[in-house]
Amino acid sequence: MARVLGGIGASHAPSMEHVYDAGDEVRASEEWQPLFGPFKQVSEWLEELRPDRLVVIYNDHMDQFFLDAYPTFALGVADEYPVADEGFGQRPFPPLPGDSALGWHIARSLVADEFDPTICQELEVDHGVISPLPMVDFAEGESEWRIPIVPLAVNVILHPLPTPRRCFKLGNALRRAILSYPEDLGIVVVGTGGLSHQLTGPRFGQVREEWDREFMRLLAHEPERLCDYTHEELIKLGGTESVEVVNWLAMRGALTSDVEPVVEAYYPHKIMGYGLQALAVAA
Amino acid sequence: MTEPAATQELTEDYLERLARVQPRDLPDDLDLFYEDTAKRGIRLNKAAYSLKDEHQRELFHRDEAEWMEQFGLTDRERELVRTRDWIGLWRAGMSIYVMVKLSGVTNTPLPKIGQQMRESG
Repeated sequence: MARVLGGIGASHAPSMEHVYDAGDEVRASEEWQPLFGPFKQVSEWLEELRPDRLVVIYNDHMDQFFLDAYPTFALGVADEYPVADEGFGQRPFPPLPGDSALGWHIARSLVADEFDPTICQELEVDHGVISPLPMVDFAEGESEWRIPIVPLAVNVILHPLPTPRRCFKLGNALRRAILSYPEDLGIVVVGTGGLSHQLTGPRFGQVREEWDREFMRLLAHEPERLCDYTHEELIKLGGTESVEVVNWLAMRGALTSDVEPVVEAYYPHKIMGYGLQALAVAA
Repeated sequence: MTEPAATQELTEDYLERLARVQPRDLPDDLDLFYEDTAKRGIRLNKAAYSLKDEHQRELFHRDEAEWMEQFGLTDRERELVRTRDWIGLWRAGMSIYVMVKLSGVTNTPLPKIGQQMRESG
């Protein structure tokens, strides 16, 4: 049977892509070490855990899905996921390997649990997936992704959005899907997005350090309390675009109630509150 | 007239959940992409979304007016694109996520958009 080995919460942002693509020197620079140093620790933690798959809960930024028909939840069931052209040309990465059989199993299990995702046989992933993922899962020397993924996209763009509680329960359902998968796979669940940022209006660039730190504390130790927040409250606390943090809450829902943060970093920089958290579960 | 049975079905718990889904009490300087914005901005959003495609980007560079022609933009919307009026585009319902694609094709750095945004208050 498959097992949930742990979880990762990570911000996603085009800025992280620019830094990664600029190479080792920039990643290790004084400016970016506070974020990329901890990413290296997460990568080392994964090396020890050796997960067979990653389920990546993220949100698309109108690179795959558009306002003509916007899915609330969308699940990848493909064997590979090309990298989307977000308007600037594709980043030079090979398609990410998937696991179609696991994807379809998760689809059936979610539906049995009364979650009904849009089922995607073709899905291009954008920076919601591939801005944090190379730092934890890309073998640069071989130019290869190491761990197949199953992507799960959440609507955080077009209101009404699924509530924080709903996203946490989606994580609970994802956990059952993993535990009921007959193959003996170790799986790490990743949630990407946030933390505080505001990209529109007169508050452009506002970062809320105090709330971001409180969010990470609650996520690790009292996730149920985060379920009680409304989107309105999250927007007031962290900015319009910060509602992406529900992806972290979904990830958290797939873990046991007791977790231990083994890597934890927060870096408020320019227009983003960057957060990173690796959560270990009891063996 | 509401049937008595219906008011019984619409429990307080349900009504509270319904109220919590839609933010209604945001200050003016915090925005939301929802029913109004989605309807108002659909043409501009379609236009900027198209820039995912490199052929659309080529057309934009070759003949911006012809590029705009494809999306049925109003005269006002065309003017907003032509003048790179980021605040105006935002107010007209353009989502920041497709605005980023328009910023790419027009070589506008995000901090410049941010500066306009900040000054909009």
